[in-house]
Amino acid sequence: MASISIRNLTKRYGNFTVIPDLNLEIADHEFVVFVGPSGCGKSTLLRIIAGLEPISGGDLYIGDKRVNGVQAAQRDIAMVFQDYALYPHMRVYDNMSFALELRGTPKAEIDARVKRAAALLHIEPYLDRKPKELSGGQRQRVAMGRAIVRNPKAFLFDEPLSNLDAKLRGQVRAEIKALSQQLKTTMVFVTHDQIEAMTMADRIVVLQSGAIQQYDTPETVYERPANQFVAGFIGSPAMNFFAVEWHDDCAILSQGGTAVPVDGETASSLRRAGNALLGIRPEHFTVATNAADGIAIEVKLVEPLGSDTLIHFDLAGISAIARIDPSLRPKVGDRLALRPQPGKTHLFDATNGQVLR
Amino acid sequence: MNDAANTDRWIRWLNTVQLVLAGIIIMAPTVWMVLSSFKPSFEVTAYPPTLVFTPTLENYAELTKTTPFLSYALNSLIVTVGSTSLGLLFGIPAAFAVSWTRITWPAILTLAARMAPGTLFLLPWYVMFRQIGMIGSYTALILSHAVITLPIVIWVLLPSFDAIPRSVFEAAQVDGCSVTRILWRIAMPLVASGVAVSAILAFVFSWNYFLFALVLSNGDTKTLIAAAFNFIGEGSTQWGALMAAATLIALPPLVLAALVQRWLVSGLTLGAVKG
Repeated sequence: MASISIRNLTKRYGNFTVIPDLNLEIADHEFVVFVGPSGCGKSTLLRIIAGLEPISGGDLYIGDKRVNGVQAAQRDIAMVFQDYALYPHMRVYDNMSFALELRGTPKAEIDARVKRAAALLHIEPYLDRKPKELSGGQRQRVAMGRAIVRNPKAFLFDEPLSNLDAKLRGQVRAEIKALSQQLKTTMVFVTHDQIEAMTMADRIVVLQSGAIQQYDTPETVYERPANQFVAGFIGSPAMNFFAVEWHDDCAILSQGGTAVPVDGETASSLRRAGNALLGIRPEHFTVATNAADGIAIEVKLVEPLGSDTLIHFDLAGISAIARIDPSLRPKVGDRLALRPQPGKTHLFDATNGQVLR
Repeated sequence: MNDAANTDRWIRWLNTVQLVLAGIIIMAPTVWMVLSSFKPSFEVTAYPPTLVFTPTLENYAELTKTTPFLSYALNSLIVTVGSTSLGLLFGIPAAFAVSWTRITWPAILTLAARMAPGTLFLLPWYVMFRQIGMIGSYTALILSHAVITLPIVIWVLLPSFDAIPRSVFEAAQVDGCSVTRILWRIAMPLVASGVAVSAILAFVFSWNYFLFALVLSNGDTKTLIAAAFNFIGEGSTQWGALMAAATLIALPPLVLAALVQRWLVSGLTLGAVKG
């Protein structure tokens, strides 16, 4: 078990810089999730920690040891791959015992550790099977078992749930989280799925173009996004953004001039900035009973989800979404008045996207 | 529906005709060789060729009487097994290294060497081996035949190694394997059928290779195929004995190929489709 420290790390492929200058501290026992769109450098960063990619500049520490030039084999890190990467010619038992065997662990201890991990992951009946005789979910568990038996300094997960169907993904996600609480080991998990990030992480690293946009707890990343990118990336459906101005002591939409009811904090920030981007999550709209208290919209599309209903509408030239109570039973063409919930709006600098407080 | 069934039937029929024609073209010389080896010597060159004849073993008797056939066969075996082993010893790690590093020029270089006419190597080798007193040695023959076996091993195994997902190797690295260990513990078991196929192909090509053995061997190390050349004399070729020798020479590769034909096809197409 160990902390991971990344200092001024750069990664280049020829003239192409994937990670320009990255600093990150992952505490011992912490479950950190790297999240970001495709090509943001999250998998590269994970592979650098694993020792599968060389570092172009900067330093990487695992525990107190600088591991820049240390081979993957010597880092004492376990990794679960997206395609599980099980050894096809070995039985499940041998897949799990292989790393211990390489380290010269006594046979009795190997056996005990494999059986303990198999029990933990409910894969005991499959120990004599080859990977091709297992389902996707079972293979996923074996891949985790292979990592667990080693008792490594840290676990790395590279999008391990992306090959599973939706139901199984949810189940394994919960299992990994439970496992992390049981094992109390440093875990780094890469995903492009923000639900995985939100539900599993102690802290989330939101990456874009190889740079950390925000590194904080899931609650903070959701409630207080550092910039427009994070605000738009975390949350599903994504946050709506409207260009707004401060005009005649009132917040108005830049296009159309409709007044937007905002809380005091947002109003004072907008007053200082003059104009900005107003961010409102779909779930933070309320349907106003009195039309004068909200923004008038016309429902363009209705998506009933059971627990909620999503309504699509156009506002100030923007296609926006609101999540509303399904008992309202909205229909296409209905005219509603939406009101942002007080304290739930976000204001971003119109030029650089940074949050305005 | 009926049209589709008719078209299918026609395609199947055309395929069969094509295969039969190809089989006849490929097999005719072999059948002619085998039949001729059992004909009395005066009938071998008869024109038109006789299809009905009384089979005789006189050509085989002549062959064993006039030549140390078993000794030549042993020479062939030593050279073939030696060069196949050498090809595997260097070809397996070479193919793995090319697949691992994605640096393909060494493999292309070996292929170019294989494509080049044998005579290109013959003179330099003859001079080199003569200067170090190795003309007529098994070592010279085995080393020269490695030019045949090495590219075969590399090029048959390359797609097999390429077909193994990269992440399997990376998982082994993270598990604590060195590159050498990854080759022996992870990659080798996964390409075992490819190794067998490359070994068989290397064996067959080396066994059948004529030119190097003709020039670099001596009376003690002459291989079967070079010895068979002795039956072709100026004006008086012993066709019957030559056919008997050719039949016996062709036997081991044919038997080998027949025994493992299913494996051979799957091994050769390995890596073509990832599954």
